[in-house]
Amino acid sequence: MTSLVSARGVSKQYGKICAVDNVSFDIEKGKIMGLIGPNGAGKTTLLKAVLGLTDCEGELSVLGLDPFKQRKELMQNICFIADVAVLPRWIRVSQLLDFVESTHPNFSREKAEALLANTKVNTRRDSRVRELSKGMVTQLHLAIIAAIDARLLVLDEPTLGLDIIFRKEFYGNLLSDYFDEERTILVTTHQVEEIENILTDIMFINEGRIIFDASMDSLGEDYVELLTSGEKADQARNLGPIGEREVFGKKIMLFEKPDRASLETLGELHTPSVADLFVAKVKGATA
Amino acid sequence: MIGHQLALIKREIWEHRSIYVTPIAIAVIVSLVSLAGMVTVSAFDKEVNMALFGASNIAGDAERQAALTVFFLGTSWVFLFALAILTTFYTLDSLYAERKDKSILFWRSLPITDAETVVSKLLTAVFVLPLVTVAAIIVTHLVNLVITTGWVMVKGGNAAHLIWGSVPLFDNWAAALIVTVASAVWMSPLIGWFLFVSAFTKRSPLLMAFMPLIIVPIIEWIFFRTKFFASAVFGRGEMIPLFEEMDFEHFFDEERMTVHEEVVSLLAHIDLGKFLLTPSVWAGVVVCGLFAAAAIYVRRYRDES
Repeated sequence: MTSLVSARGVSKQYGKICAVDNVSFDIEKGKIMGLIGPNGAGKTTLLKAVLGLTDCEGELSVLGLDPFKQRKELMQNICFIADVAVLPRWIRVSQLLDFVESTHPNFSREKAEALLANTKVNTRRDSRVRELSKGMVTQLHLAIIAAIDARLLVLDEPTLGLDIIFRKEFYGNLLSDYFDEERTILVTTHQVEEIENILTDIMFINEGRIIFDASMDSLGEDYVELLTSGEKADQARNLGPIGEREVFGKKIMLFEKPDRASLETLGELHTPSVADLFVAKVKGATA
Repeated sequence: MIGHQLALIKREIWEHRSIYVTPIAIAVIVSLVSLAGMVTVSAFDKEVNMALFGASNIAGDAERQAALTVFFLGTSWVFLFALAILTTFYTLDSLYAERKDKSILFWRSLPITDAETVVSKLLTAVFVLPLVTVAAIIVTHLVNLVITTGWVMVKGGNAAHLIWGSVPLFDNWAAALIVTVASAVWMSPLIGWFLFVSAFTKRSPLLMAFMPLIIVPIIEWIFFRTKFFASAVFGRGEMIPLFEEMDFEHFFDEERMTVHEEVVSLLAHIDLGKFLLTPSVWAGVVVCGLFAAAAIYVRRYRDES
């Protein structure tokens, strides 16, 4: 097994608040892992620990390195976009490319130029970042990141504040320009529905704990959504759904490790969306 | 390592355009003022109609050289004063702005250590800013000499003799270089302190930097009736151990209302050896290093959430 990120009993306290609470997980090479959680769940803290921006208790290894102690080595093989706003606003596009080229050993100027050639940023080389639209800034940042031959890419809410067209384009470009079997992506976002079709693996985090960790392939087997109503709904409720909601007078129940044969007699079966599964898991964890 | 430093220092100049805009602005102002001065003076008095540098009414080559040197010295002081202000604002902003606009997360996503970053800002403050200032001083002098040459020629004077033959240019520039860089090194404890404040403060670095400098002497006075801190911090600027003993009377001839001829060589008044052998110079460098190390520590270990 080639585990790029390995966490064993990782915790991080801020005073009395436990932002990350005894978390263990692995991310293997070539995966796209989605880290999903409500605000304040500990997502950003966990990513910071992975990036060596904060220290933590427990064992955490990223690319075989201790991220906090070996940050410089780590940063040669890891990239991150923490938010769309982090590119310095005063810098010119050409200056930014010059700077990354002269400081990052794994950066390919040719690749960055080729990627930018297809974007609106192409004709704005002398513009400062603050003069570009938010979408263009993201295109620029992604082009730089994609031109770095890094093994792990960490994205923390990379498309926050972007309109739908840029968001779609961002993830499209991410797959086509960046991702291959040698590379691994760890991404957090609120807009789960936009990334669920690109993820290979998913983790839910709530109140500092990982409450769910599975591959996307196993989701369709292990979970099912039942659309039902009336008496059948009462029967279905007896089978122990992990979540229930109501849409247009119909009950929608979510089952874990379902007995498909008996459920099929009670209504329509669907594969649940990640968002619905997430809501059910978080409610279940806090109940 | 050196490649990184060059890239980082270049970045500082991109970000803080005031590093070169300020000296250029001062150069323009000084040149305009000296031009206006020449026009004004010659309008009031025919005796000095070849004012200022080439003034025909200053008798003797040595006296004229002294007058030119003093003019050069005066313009250099304007640049030095501006450099002090520029350095203060640059250092206070250098590690604060990146946190305020959150670009620190981008910079830290690159394989550059916090030590490299802080050192680049320190080198910019102690060497790059002074060197840019010296370059601006030299350009200003040349521009003023050219303007004056034109002026003297229009008045029918011999510019080659009155101006260019009278100016100890390289002596003057070498002195400007030594004084400017030595001043930055001498004041480096304050530079280090500003960097440190810039790295840790959550708001208003200017206030956070100067408040202790004002409060600590007051507390010291209340409890100990002494002024060590105040004289160490505020007195330091006047105590730079770079010059030969020299008093004002020695410098200025009151009877003839002019400066003594021996002022002509500024270099002759500078004792670089003494500067380099003075313990308080190196003590200052050590204090600067400690503050810089503290700034690195803060940037490295503080959690930005």
